[in-house]
Amino acid sequence: MEGAFSYAPAIAAFPLVAFVVALAFGKWLPKKGAIPGIAATAASLLFSLWMLVAVASGETYHETLYEWTAGEAASEVGADGIAFSFGLLIDPLSALMLVIVSLVAFLVHVFSLGYMNAEGETGLPRYYAGLGLFTFSMLAFVYADNLLMAFMFFELVGLCSYLLIGFWFRTRSAPSAAKKAFLVTRFGDYFFLIGVVAIAATFGTLQFAGDQSFVAAAETAIDDGATLFGFDAETWVTITGLLVLGGVLGKSAQFPFHTWLPDAMEGPTTVSALIHAATMVAAGVYLVARMFGYYALSPTALAIIAFVGGFTALFAATMGVVKDDIKQVLAYSTISQYGYMMLGLGVGGYVAGVFHLMNHAFFKALLFLGAGAVIILMHHEQDMWKMGGLKDKAPVTYWTFLAGALALAGIIPFSGFWSKDEILYDAIIVGLEEPVILAAYAMGLVAVFFTGFYTFRMVFLTFHGEPRSEAAEDPHPVGWSVKFPLIVLGLLALVAGVANLAPVAKLANVDITFLEHWLDGEYGAIEGLTYGAYGELLAYETGVIGTEQQTVLIAAGLSLLLAFSGAGLAWKLYNAPEPVAHKERLGSAGTVVEDNYYQDEYQVWLAEGVTLPLARVADRFDQTVIDGLVNGVSSASLFSSSWVKRIQTGIVTNYAALIVAGFVALLLGLGLYGGWF
Amino acid sequence: MMIEALIAVALVGALVTFVAPNRVAGKLAFAISLVPVALSLWLFTAFDGSGNALLDGTLAFESHYEWIQLGEYTISWFVGLDGISLPLVVLTTILTSLAIMSSWTPIDERESQFYGLVLFIEASLIGVFAALDFFLWFIFWEAVLIPMYLLIGIWGGPRRKYAAIKFFVYTNVASLLMFGAFIALVFGLGDAVTSFALPEVTDAMLNGGPEGFFGLEGTTLASVVFVALFIGFAVKVPVVPFHTWLPDAHVEAPTPASVLLAGVLLKMGTYALLRFNFTMFPDQVEAYAVPIAAIAVISVIYGAMLALAQTDLKRIVAYSSVSSMGYVILGLIAYTQFGVGGATFQMVSHGLISGLMFMAVGVIYNATHTRLVTDMSGIADRMPVAVGILVAGAFGYMGLPLMSGFAAEYFIFFGAFGADFAYAPLFTGLAMFGIVLVAGYLLFALQRTVFGPYRLETDYEVSRAPLHDLAPMFVLLGLIIALGVAPDLIFEMITDAVDPILEGGDL
Amino acid sequence: MIGVEYYVLLSMAVFSIGLVGVLTRRNALTFLMSVELMLNAANINLIAFAFYHGNLTGQVFALFTMALAAAEVAVGLGIILVLYRNFRDIDVTVPTTMRW
Repeated sequence: MEGAFSYAPAIAAFPLVAFVVALAFGKWLPKKGAIPGIAATAASLLFSLWMLVAVASGETYHETLYEWTAGEAASEVGADGIAFSFGLLIDPLSALMLVIVSLVAFLVHVFSLGYMNAEGETGLPRYYAGLGLFTFSMLAFVYADNLLMAFMFFELVGLCSYLLIGFWFRTRSAPSAAKKAFLVTRFGDYFFLIGVVAIAATFGTLQFAGDQSFVAAAETAIDDGATLFGFDAETWVTITGLLVLGGVLGKSAQFPFHTWLPDAMEGPTTVSALIHAATMVAAGVYLVARMFGYYALSPTALAIIAFVGGFTALFAATMGVVKDDIKQVLAYSTISQYGYMMLGLGVGGYVAGVFHLMNHAFFKALLFLGAGAVIILMHHEQDMWKMGGLKDKAPVTYWTFLAGALALAGIIPFSGFWSKDEILYDAIIVGLEEPVILAAYAMGLVAVFFTGFYTFRMVFLTFHGEPRSEAAEDPHPVGWSVKFPLIVLGLLALVAGVANLAPVAKLANVDITFLEHWLDGEYGAIEGLTYGAYGELLAYETGVIGTEQQTVLIAAGLSLLLAFSGAGLAWKLYNAPEPVAHKERLGSAGTVVEDNYYQDEYQVWLAEGVTLPLARVADRFDQTVIDGLVNGVSSASLFSSSWVKRIQTGIVTNYAALIVAGFVALLLGLGLYGGWF
Repeated sequence: MMIEALIAVALVGALVTFVAPNRVAGKLAFAISLVPVALSLWLFTAFDGSGNALLDGTLAFESHYEWIQLGEYTISWFVGLDGISLPLVVLTTILTSLAIMSSWTPIDERESQFYGLVLFIEASLIGVFAALDFFLWFIFWEAVLIPMYLLIGIWGGPRRKYAAIKFFVYTNVASLLMFGAFIALVFGLGDAVTSFALPEVTDAMLNGGPEGFFGLEGTTLASVVFVALFIGFAVKVPVVPFHTWLPDAHVEAPTPASVLLAGVLLKMGTYALLRFNFTMFPDQVEAYAVPIAAIAVISVIYGAMLALAQTDLKRIVAYSSVSSMGYVILGLIAYTQFGVGGATFQMVSHGLISGLMFMAVGVIYNATHTRLVTDMSGIADRMPVAVGILVAGAFGYMGLPLMSGFAAEYFIFFGAFGADFAYAPLFTGLAMFGIVLVAGYLLFALQRTVFGPYRLETDYEVSRAPLHDLAPMFVLLGLIIALGVAPDLIFEMITDAVDPILEGGDL
Repeated sequence: MIGVEYYVLLSMAVFSIGLVGVLTRRNALTFLMSVELMLNAANINLIAFAFYHGNLTGQVFALFTMALAAAEVAVGLGIILVLYRNFRDIDVTVPTTMRW
């Protein structure tokens, strides 16, 4: 299979070609650019699967393809040159992610045929070009072999997100949301870029893998007890790790950078499904997984990741409870679910985190596309209170949406249950020894209840009960291009959990944890980038309650119980023919939650209440003091010249007299000086 | 003789354009300006120099003739190119050509004089970047000012006289300071130099330094001259607090003059800083590293804050130039290969990107006759392609990867982070906050002007921009992306010329 | 043989007369004549010293000065004519418009 990898660049290149074609010729193409997009993503999917098979057969690929630039730079650990390059790293993790991304991208392109093309939308070439560019950047990010390349494509997906959120630029809200999304993530990327620069300046390399990687260099530096930039090596690794984490928090919409994601729902729903649920938002978490070896060196950084993750999971889930817009609910659930992944990675559950990343990509893309289908059915109405009763009128949408909802809520045996349970299990065994992690675990656990509640509140309000508007009574039909992606993703949401049935494996003592083996490099792997290698670096102690089996049962039982009770409460409150809102029961807490804990307000205040006035003050200072000084110099000289110029009388005789007087004065002066008198 | 040919073509072209009828002047000037473009591109491919022009490097296209004997000193016609000046010469020729094309729409009076002056600026700018004798260099340096003064003063906006005089006087006073300082330095060097040739002065500075002059000790003299030169060039760059002429000049200047002003004229300042301060005074660079780094950081942040407070699109771009030039200073003071190389790269990159931004703003102004953010919204509805390019340019300005701005900023940040002076990582981290602010003010401006529902306060019908307005922007965008994807197109020759400077610092 | 100092004294006297004329008279024509007097004072000096040194340099210079003076008178008279046309007067204190 050696030859397979020489075709790897094509995976990203196909969508790039689609981007160019859609942008340049989309106007004249039959489906306005959809066909090249679908063809390109299908080709990427096939090639990605080929890579997966190649990795399964024991091969990996790590090759520098193009040197961006190189030069001399003395680094802290002694290397005196550095090369910045573009290269590919295909190992079990990236091969898996390639398949996920290209699959979702392919399905979203197909779905777009039904969602975007059918509505007489203008600007479709721009839309498909954006999708193509996004898919290209995302795929290139996934198999980047160094941190700089990862950063570059990380930024480019941010650009695509900006362009696609702002797709309906003639409205007021979409450009504003796009700006906010880019700015908030940029703020995170600011820290990320400092991190990249710092790591490059410290270790003289940005490679993820191999002996020349910064991970290996950091490990050596810690072992040697080196001092880096005035800090001891471990502290410096923590600092740089946390700087990079800034970008992760921004892109994966973690607290406190989560505020952009709900606003990003202004974009087309297909974009929300692809970018703001399944792939781009995953980029942050994926990056943590990609350089997990680096974080494993720093217990502090990991604990912070875990805690932020657990907190975000709960925080966002509570906000999802009170939203009325179906996409808003999904947006907050996305934030919450990425919190789980962070929690999983933070407690050292590398496999669990990646597992949930994969499952979430499928079921959340499914839910968003389902929501897109609902929006088509409802003639572009997104308020859940105007829906109801769609169950019988759109069975395919209903059943697939239900599969996604069950997975999201974590109901056995849907995929979400297995991965979420594994994360919580990994968290509790560490939490038994580390109080911070235990707190994170507790928050994650409580969030399960809220997840069950808001998920089923959404399902009941949308599909059950009686139709509550004209649109809901007479839904717009949906075509095959909408149903096909839903069915594919619905099946995946149901069965993807089979990839890693860890609790079953532990209880029945059978070897069915395929994903763990996959990530542990039992097929192909690059040395140092395996679950086992990370495990050796981790400093976590683990404990159990009773025996391991008992712990597994307790963890799974607790989360299932909470999920069911959340779902049950939703069933009790909202599964009525004419459901009513129960918000007033929450009292003032409800107001706080509905206003998103005033997170938007304080960030807007930071921008408009602090930065902008500061800028105005600076401008006033500039206009009055600095420019005033400059103008002052000019007025002073103008003023003095208005006096001096009076010598020029315009009368020739006066000039002559002055000349004579000057000459005499000169003579006298010279005479006195020369001693004539 | 190639450099002479380059300058001569532009000069003769300027004269021919002056006497050409207004009707054909634009097309004629554009056709003429293509010759220097072709010549400079040929120079670029045929470049065979290596090392730094001032430090015993092998000069490309060198020519050296004695010109005037002034007492003990010889003034010569001495020109040549190295890896630092060549990219800037190419930038100049390309940008002039594109600026000429972009003025076909907005310039509708006294065209022949306008285009003649533009070509005259081009000739002088090439001279600035190619001259290696101080006197020759100074003549070209000053010769740039006059046509630019006229361009702003005749074809400018409502406050053009104020802006033009401010620009001229401010930069001229700075020139005087710089000129006096350099002459003092040459006299201070005594018998070690017999000409004003920059390589000779550099050599004398690095091997011994000045003996003293006008009652000052050698080292004190060197410090005084360093500071005076720095201030003299800082006005041109411009560095805070010497920047206030820039927004006025930009706002009043016609689009093509803005393009040249931001694209090339500002680079004269940083180029001179690199050639004089950072090549001849390694000890002073080390001694003044922290204050200069602080000035750089202040320029970046303060410039960005000022841009944030503006409502005139051109003012926004003008202040953002102050911010971007701050990065150049940061890169220079880092005194590492990536720092100084990145600073030079940023000169070229910022020339392309700010040129693009001014052109895009100009195209929108041609259609709307307003530049105020508050006067319009939703322009994208009527001018999709022009706005598309404006957005692309804005993202270039923000340092989007795979565009030249990112490469330049990344090199500078990386070079500065590992620099030797105290608190280098801290200064770098602070300066990097500029990338957030730049995104803030540009996206804010874009959101309000080009997106949203269509609205225009002025009585003009906005329609798609003509192709000859768009074509130069496409060329620039192509160059920006090319340099972003393959920075080694010029970065290799830049570092080759930068390395000797850094080694000179170890003497 | 008359000593060179007498020529210098003569020249000084002529020059002073011219100078006083320039400083005190207001008629442009008189003004022009006074200037001619000062030029001729210089000529006297040149020739005297040429004689004193025994070479011809001074005499050549004097010839130049005369040529120059002739040209100057032509220009000067032209100016006076224009002056008269514009101000109906040849009083040099009347036209003061050529100042700030």
